[in-house]
Amino acid sequence: MTDAGRAPTPPSEIDRQLAALGPREIVVGLPTYNNAATVATVAAAVRAGLAAHFPDAPAALVNIDCGSADGTPELLADAGVPVALARHDAPIGERATIPFHGLPGRDAALRLAFDAARRLKARVLVALEADVTSISAEWIDRLVRPVWEDKADLVVPAYARHRYEGTLTNLLLAPLVRALFGRRLRQPLGGACALSARLLDHVVAHPDLPSTGRDLVDLWVTGRAIADQFALGEAWLGPRRVESRTRMTDLPTVVAQVLSALFTVMERYEPLWLGVTGSEPVLAIGEPVVPGPEPTTVDVERMVGAFRRGVRDLVEIWAHVLAPETLGDVLSLDVRDAGTYRFPDPLWARVAYDFALGHHYGVIHRDHLLRSLVPLCLGRTAAFVIATRAASGAETDAALEKVGAAFEREKPYLTERWH
Amino acid sequence: MSHRPTGRDWYKDAVFYEVHVKAFADGNGDGVGDFVGLTGRLDYLKDLGVDCLWILPMYASPLRDDGYDIADFYSIHPAYGTVEDFQTFLDEAHARNLRVIADLVMNHTSDQHPWFQASRSGPASPYADYYVWSDADTRYRNARIIFIDTEKSNWTFDPVRKAYFWHRFFGHQPDLNYDNPAVRRAMLDVMRFWLDRGLDGFRCDAVPYLVEREGTSCENLAETHGVLKEFRRVIDEEFGGDRVLLAEANQWPEDVRPYFGEGDECHMAFHFPLMPRIYMAVRLEERLPIVDIFTHTPPIPPSAQWGLFLRNHDELTLEMVTNEERAFMYYAYAQDPEMKLNLGIRRRLAPLLDNDRRRVELLNSLLLTLPGSPIVYYGDEIGMGDNVYLGDRDGVRTPMQWSRDRNAGFSAADESTLYLPVITDPVYGYQAVNVAAQARTPSSLLNAMKRLIATRRTSPAFGRGAIEFLRPRNQRILAYVRRHQRDTLLIVNNLAGSPQPVELDLRGFAGSTPVEMLGQTRFPTIGEAPYFLSLGPHGFYWFRIERPDEGDEPYGIEDTAI
Repeated sequence: MTDAGRAPTPPSEIDRQLAALGPREIVVGLPTYNNAATVATVAAAVRAGLAAHFPDAPAALVNIDCGSADGTPELLADAGVPVALARHDAPIGERATIPFHGLPGRDAALRLAFDAARRLKARVLVALEADVTSISAEWIDRLVRPVWEDKADLVVPAYARHRYEGTLTNLLLAPLVRALFGRRLRQPLGGACALSARLLDHVVAHPDLPSTGRDLVDLWVTGRAIADQFALGEAWLGPRRVESRTRMTDLPTVVAQVLSALFTVMERYEPLWLGVTGSEPVLAIGEPVVPGPEPTTVDVERMVGAFRRGVRDLVEIWAHVLAPETLGDVLSLDVRDAGTYRFPDPLWARVAYDFALGHHYGVIHRDHLLRSLVPLCLGRTAAFVIATRAASGAETDAALEKVGAAFEREKPYLTERWH
Repeated sequence: MSHRPTGRDWYKDAVFYEVHVKAFADGNGDGVGDFVGLTGRLDYLKDLGVDCLWILPMYASPLRDDGYDIADFYSIHPAYGTVEDFQTFLDEAHARNLRVIADLVMNHTSDQHPWFQASRSGPASPYADYYVWSDADTRYRNARIIFIDTEKSNWTFDPVRKAYFWHRFFGHQPDLNYDNPAVRRAMLDVMRFWLDRGLDGFRCDAVPYLVEREGTSCENLAETHGVLKEFRRVIDEEFGGDRVLLAEANQWPEDVRPYFGEGDECHMAFHFPLMPRIYMAVRLEERLPIVDIFTHTPPIPPSAQWGLFLRNHDELTLEMVTNEERAFMYYAYAQDPEMKLNLGIRRRLAPLLDNDRRRVELLNSLLLTLPGSPIVYYGDEIGMGDNVYLGDRDGVRTPMQWSRDRNAGFSAADESTLYLPVITDPVYGYQAVNVAAQARTPSSLLNAMKRLIATRRTSPAFGRGAIEFLRPRNQRILAYVRRHQRDTLLIVNNLAGSPQPVELDLRGFAGSTPVEMLGQTRFPTIGEAPYFLSLGPHGFYWFRIERPDEGDEPYGIEDTAI
């Protein structure tokens, strides 16, 4: 491993803790960074979940902290679950800007959790988020049981959501993941996940396991598991409520980080996606929840305004990124009447693919490229809200299905231009 | 593209680029630039970000005044190409959303023009009254002589007609007689000919002198305005109202003001007195000369626009400064007597500023942010130098420097056949200063200019906004607010060559946030206390003032975007 994954905790120290724990069938990995306010809630859910659903399985919690200043690890030390505490330094570049999941150095933390789980001979590793306070004992069962019962090797969460929550995931990330990897995941990058020992062995031994870069491990593990025929499950959990002081909610930063990760995975690991066609649904664990049709609180006017400003200010950047016909189609979108404004799905897919290609070929500085996508995302989101404002939850779901299908259909546009 | 200036008043948002056909690019390898060459360089201009090209005189001419002595209004000078070449150029420019205006000399023609040749043949000629003739050289004595270095009188005796003809410029440039309706009709036909081809307007040369009246200075007469209004009305009626007339009237702003009429005369006019005062302000490190000239600039009709420039093809004109100011300018910017010409200084922008990159950018910041439409003189975007040892104003009309190839990439001709030698001195020579090198260098002046021009495009307030000067105690800081509808810009310039602090009274914007436009950096929110800024030597800030209800408001999707 490179520096990025080096654990400054003296090896003997974490070794000693792991050795003292002995074999554990269920390992809960909990990466943290200044989560003192919420970590007790998470630990309590873990304790209750294990006690209620896996009372006889030896379990342990492995905390990987990247330098909390608020005593987070100390709070976990007496969580009522056997605990190992590891520390690592997030790469300097990541400590400077807090990422969208609130945790600098998440990749390194996950790799440490993988490693610890294997040394504890775990059958299941479940990684959780330390700032998600809506977690319940039920979540532990939903995530762990499919692996425990050999029905899945990788379980990722799907949260019950308001239909305009997760717009970036719904309109861009999920359609891209679906078209690239060939699985209809609802919520990639859902934060939590559970892995089987088989999959752990496979990824840890795999020469491609990302050891440089940022925010790549989640997507790479998903892509790797799909490509290598591991069984995938999607656990339907309740709503996901985040209480974090560090989580990034600045939209341009979130867009840049998330897509940078996905585009980098595309760049480095072509075999995971280049030859994939079509898509399959993912095994649902628990009852799928259609998006709730609560009244909208999103500001469509402002999103349309931001899109218009993008058209005004960013055309010259877009001209480097978008194919001429794509740019022409974007510029001729009629945003004057917010009542009738639409953003066709095939065009949106081509926009996304042109940005992936622009990132691939490095046509302009990559951070500028990614940030210039933000007004387009807002324009697409606004059109989605307008189109579904009067729709039911099921109809909204159907509209999202069409977006994903369009990305799948347009995928040859991407692959033909990739080389 | 959609954000390019469109609509009838496109000129209010446009950035102009002044280019000499002969100086830009030689397409046929004869040593003189031409329309074929210029057409081949349109992508460069498009990339630079300008909106409208101003073509210096392109007509058939003996070239005794660099084409301002027109011998045939209906043909292109053979060295520059043909009318067909011009048409191709114009169509290609339009295909790139670039507009084109051309110089038109209305006041006079060459003495080689057939009209003059016919006119001089005698009073019986049908063209006899096309020019201003007199048996004596005593009329219009109150009219000043403009080219005092070469001309002794505004009258010259013609041995053929045996009479004196009137000329405000050189003796080979007889003035047309605008009291003659046939002349006005003939000139309108000339304009129609080029507008029919798609030309977007004219830069009307020397308009104050069209009509003469005894006992006056023969400048800016009501009759002259009458002629211009007539031309404007006909052009508006026949060409849809989006063709512009840009008046060259080297006069005080209050004397130029009538050339706008009530929005029914010229669309644009140059702001001549501003330019020398910008140089003065930077040399004095003191904002007063600039603020002062704007207090002397009258309001103009809403559809009208000032044309601003730092340098042009003529000498840096000092006609519009006082003698004392002029002496200071000579002292400051033209210590070599060769650099003086008429009442001006014949130098390019970069050498005038000692090739100081910071000052060059500062002056361009002023050019692009003061009220009016900026006009960039070809070559100044890469900091070209001049050659003061060439005659007349040729020193600032040398070939465009494209690359370090032979003849600066301007021409494939033998270098001895070039219309003027390329600049070869060690500082400004084409090996050091050229487009190819600067295009590849992100920090080059060319790329800085592109960024400034592109940023200017992001707000209509630059072209259309009202101006309001702030009065901070530090006189070395020139700060102003430009407002247009919802857009508010704050521009702060440090005229000094040393770092300066400034406290601005921005209480009127309390709660708002200045966002620096070139880097999109958000500055601290404005409060009730004086707003403190520090500026580096000749530094400047372009801020967009973002009201609290802008920018930070959530879209409602951020918290759960993923």
